[in-house]
Amino acid sequence: MGSVTRTKLMSVMALCAMIGLLLMPILVAIPALAGDGGAPAADGKKEGGEAKVEKGKDVYYKTEGIVSGPPAPKTTDSEKDYPRYNFESRVLLWFANQQHLYYGSFVLAVPIFCMVIEFMGVVTKDKAMAKRYDQLAYDFIKISLTAYSLTAILGGILIFTFLTLYPAFFQYLSGIFRPVMHIYALMFVAESGTLYIYYYGWDKMKEGFLKWIHLSMSVVLNVIGTILMFLANSWIGFMMSPAGVDEQGRYLGNIWHVIHTALWNPLNLHRILGNMAFGGGVVAAYAAYRFLSAKTDEERAHYDWMGYIAMALGVAFLIPLPFAGYWLMREVYAYRQQMGITLMGGLLAWLFIIQATMIGILFLSTNYYLWQALGRMRGAEKYQRYIKYLVFLLTCGYLVFITPHTIVMTPAELKAMGGQQHPVLGNYGVMSAKNGGINVIITTTVLSFVWYMRGNKVSTVSWAKFGNIFMGCFFFFAYLNIIMLAIYGYYIPANVRVGLSVPQVATTLSCLFFMFALNSVMMKGAKQMGPIEWGKISARSQYALIMLATAFTWMMGLMGYIRSSVRLFWHVNEIMRDNSPWAYTHTVGFAANMISANVLFFWISIMFVFWLGALAAKKAPVEAKAAVPGRATAPAVGH
Amino acid sequence: MKALMSVGALIGVLGLLMLIGMIFGVVPSNTVRLVEGYMPMQVLSELAIFVAGFAGLSYLANSMGMTIPRFWQGVLFWAFIQTYLKFRIYPPIPFSVRAMYGVVSFVAVFMWVSANEEDWKKFRQPILNVLDANTGFHKALRTMYLILLPILIGGFSFMTMKPSVDEPIELRTVHPAPPASTKVHGKTYTLQTSQNPYRVNLEGKYDQAYSNKLIVEQGMGRLMAPNANPWDDKAEGYLKYVREGGEIFFQNCHFCHGDNLNGRGLHAFAFNPIPANFTDPGTIAQLQETFIFWRVAKGGIGLPNEGFPWASVMPPWEQHLTTDEIWKVILFEYWHTGYYPRTWD
Repeated sequence: MGSVTRTKLMSVMALCAMIGLLLMPILVAIPALAGDGGAPAADGKKEGGEAKVEKGKDVYYKTEGIVSGPPAPKTTDSEKDYPRYNFESRVLLWFANQQHLYYGSFVLAVPIFCMVIEFMGVVTKDKAMAKRYDQLAYDFIKISLTAYSLTAILGGILIFTFLTLYPAFFQYLSGIFRPVMHIYALMFVAESGTLYIYYYGWDKMKEGFLKWIHLSMSVVLNVIGTILMFLANSWIGFMMSPAGVDEQGRYLGNIWHVIHTALWNPLNLHRILGNMAFGGGVVAAYAAYRFLSAKTDEERAHYDWMGYIAMALGVAFLIPLPFAGYWLMREVYAYRQQMGITLMGGLLAWLFIIQATMIGILFLSTNYYLWQALGRMRGAEKYQRYIKYLVFLLTCGYLVFITPHTIVMTPAELKAMGGQQHPVLGNYGVMSAKNGGINVIITTTVLSFVWYMRGNKVSTVSWAKFGNIFMGCFFFFAYLNIIMLAIYGYYIPANVRVGLSVPQVATTLSCLFFMFALNSVMMKGAKQMGPIEWGKISARSQYALIMLATAFTWMMGLMGYIRSSVRLFWHVNEIMRDNSPWAYTHTVGFAANMISANVLFFWISIMFVFWLGALAAKKAPVEAKAAVPGRATAPAVGH
Repeated sequence: MKALMSVGALIGVLGLLMLIGMIFGVVPSNTVRLVEGYMPMQVLSELAIFVAGFAGLSYLANSMGMTIPRFWQGVLFWAFIQTYLKFRIYPPIPFSVRAMYGVVSFVAVFMWVSANEEDWKKFRQPILNVLDANTGFHKALRTMYLILLPILIGGFSFMTMKPSVDEPIELRTVHPAPPASTKVHGKTYTLQTSQNPYRVNLEGKYDQAYSNKLIVEQGMGRLMAPNANPWDDKAEGYLKYVREGGEIFFQNCHFCHGDNLNGRGLHAFAFNPIPANFTDPGTIAQLQETFIFWRVAKGGIGLPNEGFPWASVMPPWEQHLTTDEIWKVILFEYWHTGYYPRTWD
């Protein structure tokens, strides 16, 4: 057997081993899923030789099931249920949880980027570009590897925090989710094994068939990572919208009901997109930092390119994120009206305004970066003079989007306004207007991308003029449609109005897909006005990337807090009450400070991770360095 | 292009003159009225017209060799937005919202003037000149800033530290989250699933679509739907209940909530805040009927903790009205305002 064949065989075996690792927890879990979870019936008594089983009604699915677990504990404010330091336990848990989530999101997102970039490297015909993509994917996974260990450490800290500070609650939760938690742990083993084989096998599987095997490994790695996240989401889904238990919180033997709660799927989608956008932002910030501290033109070119790729990937997932968020909120309202009102119109409404502000900042930063990026292309000047109109559209959308429904004002202002409702602000403060606002913002972002993609090119197709007019009209009518639907929303019932978001989103996504496709066709074989001069971009653009990443981090912290706070004084909504002394909602100011502290800690620690990554880079072989992208010869097809 | 820009410039100049005239009372302040119901789009459209006008003005000035420096373009545009928000929109916008808008427009101006390197250089040049140019004018400016800045900072600190006699700012929760269920006159109503028993069709069955067709149309004039006059003696079913609800409303509610349901009743201005304006799209239009039922039945004193500072003096109407009367009056409120109650199907 030749050495090449042997290597191929080994690679296929490694891939099979990974798939085996992926399937193992599921196979192990089948008996647990099929049965009653192994928990003895709480009140099962032997009477006359027959087991008397008690039945309960599922609080969500309304189905009957055999009681298979103890009721949710009724805790008291005591050292037994809530052991504590002379400090607010909730804040410690908040910190541990948030840091674990930041790193967890990062290490789940980055392998997906690697997969995409490695795939781009495999399919591209340009050998130099292929090498650049491959090196970039390798750089990404290297950063992820260090972060992965930190994620595991933080996960351990989180569990210890739960066990030591909230033992009663954690015992209850782990009692219900026992099989899920075991599968989760096995999945983690599978994830680690796969990640290490994927990383250390990089150089061995560089070419041809082996490269495809390597790429397949990244798919397996990401499938495992995604399932891991889904399982973790089932716990928070259960805490917010419990199912699979009766009114006393007794497990009814159907683990799928416990996992598949009302909010599980919306949470899954929202978190996947959020993680990707967050991961893109963090890598883009890393590239921006390296760009700003670069000493040579080559370095600047490389990190400019890296920042652009990371930003583009992050924004690709940012664009659908508001729609996923909208679905989540819709499901929250459908699950419990009071929960929805607490979030969007009541106690937590102002946090949502802050969230809208952060979303706006994300899109504004993205647009600003793209406008700056036009500066590194010759021929893009023709678009720059129209940027002011895009600024206007973005600003109008943003102003509407952040207008609060509950306005902060002095009693004198309230009197001067003649009531709580303002005839202008009142209209901007509700969902119909806000949907219009965010869709205008996203459509404008798409337009900025289209301008960027054609910045240094002039279409040479015979129908170029028609194509340009068509694109102009398409965008014009898209804006018109979005605004008209937003206005129409005031004249129809609320349930129909909620449905209006679908044509609005469809309009925005049509712009994204059709206009990108049409633009690509028009720009095929286009006349180049000049190359993209990687590295020749303003420092402001890099600050925009850092802003983007910081806004992502801050927003994740905020949304996590909002999602958790909406349970108010419940550990598990309407099932297990939080009787600790900290079962109150923090003030907006305290929450903002806490989120900022978490963000600061995350960025300080991730800088350490980046520094470690940079140390390894210094030892990289000469061959890898030779592949550093963005030299003067970099082709203009990089975007 | 030049003709288009000239028209833009003309509109810009006329608009500016009109706005300044209305602010200083040279022309009547209602020359171009902001019409209730159309205000939100009117405001955005006016701003768009001004932007187009300023673009035209800038273009014309440029072509005549009288380029307005980019720095002053930015500063003046931002000042214009603040002036517009402060003086054009009535009722006045609270400071907190104007501050938010002010920051956003500042960021927008920054994005505009720094969108490309050339513009950014033009914009920052006057600032750099003040910092390091060696002309007499700039030296004088520097000296002036050296004196003015500490005074401004001192003044700001003084104003911040000075004890204020103003009432504190309130972050009032207008729509506190309702309980899962509420007990009125001995019966428990689940807010998520309960329905108004009088929202029925001619066959007496609950029918939201039927009642939706018969409400007063929104928009200018607020017309009754054809053949849907509740005060017609022959009106039956839903329309009859609307009339009965209307009678209850005018006997009990209109003193505060107003005969047009806009919160401007006879006694309204004795309260701060004044009673809820049902014609605003942010009130009953956003809520389920059962939410209104709970709020009407329990009144201001029934507000949960979340509703702090409980700035509502509405009586708990369950002490004065029967359950049926409460449902009917809610029916009337939706009928009159032309809004549909929120549903989840």
